[in-house]
Amino acid sequence: MSSRLTTQSTEWIQRDKPFSFSYEGQQVTAFEGDTISSALWANGIKVLGRSFKYHRARGILTLANHDVNALMTDGIDTNIRADVWPVQADMQLTAVNTTGGVIKDRSQFIDKISPLLPVGFYYKAFHTPRRFFPFWEDKIRKAAGLGEVNFNYPRIPKPKQHAHCDVLIIGAGIAGLSAAISVAEQGLSVIIVDENAKAGGSLTYDMATDSVSQLTTLLSAVESYSKIRLITNAYAAGYYADHLVPIVETTGITKVRAKALIVASGAFEQPPVFRNNDLPGVMMGSAAQRLIYRYAVKPFDKGVVVTANDYGYRTALDLLAAGVDVLAVIDMRREGSSSPLVTELKSKQVAVHKASCVYEVIASKQKLGVSEVVICPYDELMAEADTKNKIRLKCDGVAMSAGWAPAAALLYQAGTKMRFDNTVQQFVPAELPEGVFAAGKVNGIFELDQRQLDGQRAAAEALNYLGKSVATVEVKQHQGISPSHAYPVVNHPKGKNFVDFDEDIQVKDFINAAKEGFDNIELMKRFTTVGMGPSQGKHSNMNAIRILARIRDLPVEKIGTTTARPFFHPTPIGHLGGRGFHPHRYTAIHEWHIENGGIMTAAGLWMRPSYYLPAGSQLTAQQAMQQEAMAVRTKAGMIDNSTLGKIEVYGPDAAAFLERVYTGKFAKQKVGQYRIAMLLDEAGVMVDDGLACRLAEDRFYLTTSTTNSAMVYRQLQREVQISGLSVSLANLTGVKAAMTIAGPASADILSQLTTVDLSANAFPTGSVVETKVADVECLLLRVAFVAEQAFEIHLPAAAGLYVWNQLMQAGALFGLMAYGTDAQRLLRLEMGHHLIGHDTDGLTNPFEAHAEPLIAMDKAFFTGQRSLKIIAKKPLNKTLVNFVLDSDFAGDLPNECNLVIDNGDIAGRITSIAYSPYLKRVIGIAFVPPEKRQTGSRFEIRNDAGDLIAATVIQSPTELAKSA
Amino acid sequence: MKSTLLKSPIAFAQASQNPQMAEVNGMLTAVRFADEAIESQRVEVLAICDVSAFERVSIKGKQAASYLQQQGIALPADANQWLFEADRLVMRLGNSEFLIEDQTTNVKPSVSELSSAEGVHKVSRNDAAFILTGNHIQPLFAEICEIDLVAELATENHLVMTVIAGVSATLLSQTLNGERIYRLWCDGTYGPYLWKTLLSIIEQAGGGAWDCITFIQRFNRLQISTLRKGL
Amino acid sequence: MKLLQCPVNGIRPLSEFSYGGEFRTMPDPDSCTDQQWAAYVHYRSGAPGYKKEWWYHMPSGTWFIAERNTITDKVSRTYLFPKREVAV
Repeated sequence: MSSRLTTQSTEWIQRDKPFSFSYEGQQVTAFEGDTISSALWANGIKVLGRSFKYHRARGILTLANHDVNALMTDGIDTNIRADVWPVQADMQLTAVNTTGGVIKDRSQFIDKISPLLPVGFYYKAFHTPRRFFPFWEDKIRKAAGLGEVNFNYPRIPKPKQHAHCDVLIIGAGIAGLSAAISVAEQGLSVIIVDENAKAGGSLTYDMATDSVSQLTTLLSAVESYSKIRLITNAYAAGYYADHLVPIVETTGITKVRAKALIVASGAFEQPPVFRNNDLPGVMMGSAAQRLIYRYAVKPFDKGVVVTANDYGYRTALDLLAAGVDVLAVIDMRREGSSSPLVTELKSKQVAVHKASCVYEVIASKQKLGVSEVVICPYDELMAEADTKNKIRLKCDGVAMSAGWAPAAALLYQAGTKMRFDNTVQQFVPAELPEGVFAAGKVNGIFELDQRQLDGQRAAAEALNYLGKSVATVEVKQHQGISPSHAYPVVNHPKGKNFVDFDEDIQVKDFINAAKEGFDNIELMKRFTTVGMGPSQGKHSNMNAIRILARIRDLPVEKIGTTTARPFFHPTPIGHLGGRGFHPHRYTAIHEWHIENGGIMTAAGLWMRPSYYLPAGSQLTAQQAMQQEAMAVRTKAGMIDNSTLGKIEVYGPDAAAFLERVYTGKFAKQKVGQYRIAMLLDEAGVMVDDGLACRLAEDRFYLTTSTTNSAMVYRQLQREVQISGLSVSLANLTGVKAAMTIAGPASADILSQLTTVDLSANAFPTGSVVETKVADVECLLLRVAFVAEQAFEIHLPAAAGLYVWNQLMQAGALFGLMAYGTDAQRLLRLEMGHHLIGHDTDGLTNPFEAHAEPLIAMDKAFFTGQRSLKIIAKKPLNKTLVNFVLDSDFAGDLPNECNLVIDNGDIAGRITSIAYSPYLKRVIGIAFVPPEKRQTGSRFEIRNDAGDLIAATVIQSPTELAKSA
Repeated sequence: MKSTLLKSPIAFAQASQNPQMAEVNGMLTAVRFADEAIESQRVEVLAICDVSAFERVSIKGKQAASYLQQQGIALPADANQWLFEADRLVMRLGNSEFLIEDQTTNVKPSVSELSSAEGVHKVSRNDAAFILTGNHIQPLFAEICEIDLVAELATENHLVMTVIAGVSATLLSQTLNGERIYRLWCDGTYGPYLWKTLLSIIEQAGGGAWDCITFIQRFNRLQISTLRKGL
Repeated sequence: MKLLQCPVNGIRPLSEFSYGGEFRTMPDPDSCTDQQWAAYVHYRSGAPGYKKEWWYHMPSGTWFIAERNTITDKVSRTYLFPKREVAV
């Protein structure tokens, strides 16, 4: 049976665009512009969901996304909010949280056993006997939660955008629209957002005045200003520092940065609390109005309006105009109302009962709707009904109003101090942060004409704040009847008078929580879970505060509010992810690695080959790596080292600067030489090491590790300023490519491409020269990190691939192989070299790494020197050593971080360990007590299985190789 | 094909588009991604072009300004400003740091002819350099940058150093032959990532990659073909 | 997210910056005691109030100092080292 009304001039639906969809297996007709709930209601379908805990049948409550009675799934998206989600052709929807469908839900028995499930019951039940807990846990997990996630959802990226404006206005009701016009009149840019499908706020459903024409006037004014960008179907998710507000639409998030913010977000209508106020057919007055004026749907056929403010009288007239048989208006206030609407209603044969309440709603068959209401005289001070005098009225719906709570979440998040205003019985802003303004109902202004002025006032304040001098606007504070009632609660011995519809919290739950001692608003929230459901307290927090105030016999302002946190509505994680920017750095040689089977891994931001598996290779990762390392030991290998940090240090004080920052001496370093540059922090901890090449009296070329290049450059830049020395820096990390060619054949290979005499006499380790390789100008060094014979080349990146290819060609006959970072790690271990940040940690000082030769304590100053003087006075308590496992060792390798055990005590740990095919032994580096540092000392490693493995300290693996 | 000495830092990122490659200024660069009609259409909507091949250098130091002026090079007055004169772009990155870009080989003195001296330091560069143009610039910038780039770059001769899609970059906006174009430079090792990221957003907007020869010819009227001197 | 003013490049979102620790002056290592040096290296003041901080604008490589109220999180001014003030 259709509840669709004839065309309303205000309607949002497009009757020329009908279609159908299915709900719970039933075909339903709808119009473009309907929401899922409005279409269902128009078709007489009123059971839209089952409540979270008790599985009670639920219908429309707020129709404003202030409750989640109607949560549905289409198989892909879960928890679709049917009240506000536009219905589309061929949607196939079912309610979430049911077993066997929304009507037949087998879990509805829980409602009958609800006395066994008081608030917080799960804290007390289920944990004993302990052996049954897994059983209960499984049951509870299945029962809890709402929709089901479909893991095969289509991945649709929702890129994030940034937007900028002078003034951002939240809410396009009368206050917001008026503010927008005032701002645009002064030539500033405005973005105004509204979560509804169309702008207008309550002007689209509250017909108390000439709403329609007022709205038309405002909207055409807004349209006339190109500087106003109106975005509907978008909500402001939260407030972030310096007026950053993310706006969420179905297509994604726009992060708006505004110079000033006006919050004109309105207020949430609040429910009166009485028994069975949650049955399908019981709804807020503004929900009934939205149904009528936006969707042309009759809320119910025959019913009553219960009100604790004047709003219900307006609603009653709207219902009558929509053809509803309004039996009575029930006013919970002792004095009732002096509104002229009372007379109008009485003239239309609507009974008006003051000092009365709906004591309870009687459910229809299977509790799927309303069959009767029970009306009693009501004492609003005691919140008690006189049950000796009952009037029963048969009906199928109730519209209810009790007042408003400000939609102030963003104001709270911005740091606004709110105060409770007794004239309007709501919290209002008392102290706003700089650049943040509030207008309209959220500001406690309820008269229509005053709301328009309040929007203009807030705009004037914002304009003045932004430096545009404009006249202030006077707004009258609220006078007369409070739009909100102080305590719209009807006690009932059998309960089921709901405060929070998301979480099934009733009045006695608060009383019980307080009895248990949870009588502070934050504790009350967590124990009862009020305000913790998907609506986050929009329709429930204010009543919860009122009830707790009454229990504690305190004024509301002494109870306070809980913290409002983003997001205003739950926001899809995909939106938060956006497109995702994940920068990577690539060397000039990258394509060669790819073409030759490089297995690339991220080394910080850089992509580097760990090892190579050329097409057709049958090797494992381990085998590939070992093959590459063997090539370096027996023939030659080459690695792309372009990722190394490279810094040019130049100026008259270049050497002095290096002496100040690094531990070593550089003043007398000759041009054409390089020295190790070790960097400490102020605590004397090892931070990084690299090479300092002297290219001229006043010019050094410094390398750093890959990981630390950005940090070291930044730190050096700061040191330049602090030191006041005459020195400058240039970061050449991305400007130069670098490669190391290593192994017995490396000199022979390289000689084909350069005229430099590479013999050990002419060009010993520690030498650097500016020369050409393959006719490209470069820096050439003889190094010894991975092998005894090795050369490092630094050259302009754009020529990097060319020179790499030339070397590969030249090396082909010698068996030159590329090697990756895995092999490099093994090779340096075979050479006995530790790696800072791998073998050392955030506390390791150079004494523990036997780096004394690199420290020139006799210098006037270097970073970390003073700390080293202190550390040197204390005994050393650990030291790094190279070790080897016994030649008969078999089984799984111990791991890095396995402990060194001495007489049952922890004495150190492994920092590096690997099997060396070249040495045919397991080698590594470990921290051991200083007394074990002598070559030949024995110690034990405890592996993950708990076995003790014997190890011997060696000078270095190369010594081992020679002695073998 | 003889192996070219220099390769654009972005070349391998462009390879998946199978562009036609050529030597521009001695640097192997992708030119021609699609036929002229398609590329022209892209330019109307949103297009990106790789001009890493232009020769560039940094000149820094206390005497940098006077040295450059002595070479006959006009300089912007303040930091974060730029000048374009006689096919040479001069960007003042800091009080005493200049980025010079030659857009043809006819520039005198050329970038390679500048040198270090007392109080003047020449620093070589490896930039990835792009040109962006088209009607959909604003939504592209809205996605990749947190600041209001179009507004910031609307100020005449202003340049901006900011973060684009997570990467530090320098940008400016120029009107060339009546059309508004945007220039972007970043460290060459971030170039491939930035090219790929920008291109995917650009293609979703209905635009695409565009060859730099057309840009040079369309805006500069001059050819670049000879090998660059020195490195 | 917060905005911060680089003295050279203007107001930018915080994501363009890297924090460089509290701005402190090193005691004279030659004349201070071991205790004084250790306190400088390891102790930091946690008291709320105005702190001078090092900040680094990453795209331009600019180091500067910000004076920030750690209770209100408001930056009153930023300037290059040595102290050349640019009002925020």
